[in-house]
Amino acid sequence: MLKKISIMLLTAVALMPTELWAQADLASQRLGRAYWHVFIAYAIAWALVLAWMFVILRRLARVEQKLDQSPSE
Amino acid sequence: MLGVLGILGVLLVHWMVFFWVPTEATMGVVQRIFYIHVPAAWVAFLAFGIVALCGGMYLWLGDDRLDMAAEAAAEGGMVFATIMITSGPLWGKIAWGTYWTWEPRLTLTLLLWFIYLGYFLVRRSTSNPEQGKKFSAVVGIVGVLDIPLIHISVSWLRSLHPQPVVIKPDGPSLDPAMLTTLMTGLLAFTILFFGLFLARYGVSQLRHAAEVRAAPAPVG
Repeated sequence: MLKKISIMLLTAVALMPTELWAQADLASQRLGRAYWHVFIAYAIAWALVLAWMFVILRRLARVEQKLDQSPSE
Repeated sequence: MLGVLGILGVLLVHWMVFFWVPTEATMGVVQRIFYIHVPAAWVAFLAFGIVALCGGMYLWLGDDRLDMAAEAAAEGGMVFATIMITSGPLWGKIAWGTYWTWEPRLTLTLLLWFIYLGYFLVRRSTSNPEQGKKFSAVVGIVGVLDIPLIHISVSWLRSLHPQPVVIKPDGPSLDPAMLTTLMTGLLAFTILFFGLFLARYGVSQLRHAAEVRAAPAPVG
């Protein structure tokens, strides 16, 4: 009896519509990709803000150098 | 000081976004881009508003400090507009299946980005710096007219972009935790922007002082 049930279950799994497998695979792919998109969006935001901070600091250093070199009144 | 406070605020928002706020039921995890996209858009619009205001005042009063403030705000506006314009398509790819579509709000936002890119190009393309400042002030004022169009484009025109969920006549329709995260994001981004804007403005003032100091003294 148990053997018969096992064979029936295995047959059912083997004959399972391929679309179901495909959908499960697609769902996991989309979820994974969504996480990547979130991380990329946040990484771009940080990169841009830090780049602007870096540019401001570099300009400040250049101006301070210029002020040091110029004759004082 | 404001910049450090802003960074701490943004770190708090990151904790809220990744560990505290619930996942949205229909869009799933990609909806978390919303907490960076909307504050970036708000700050970009605020910055471009400052550009127009200071630009208009500069044209009227001719005070160089106003032009310096407008330039500093335009830089910040471009940074946050770029965050808005890159985070939106990353959400769109999952939600709509495409990074970009030429629908009204996206097109008008891209136009805004190009107008303020033009602000810097106009500034640097004239041989007379004073003329460049005046031309860029005009571009800054014209550019800000696009912001109300962007805002109304989702309700007045056929648009794919999601409808407003906070600024609505019948009040916000967001989950309280999501609304708290969004409001924290708006506040943190605003503080961060003002911190960096003031630092950038300070550098412009120092540069102006250095130029005045380096200029040859009048004879006689």
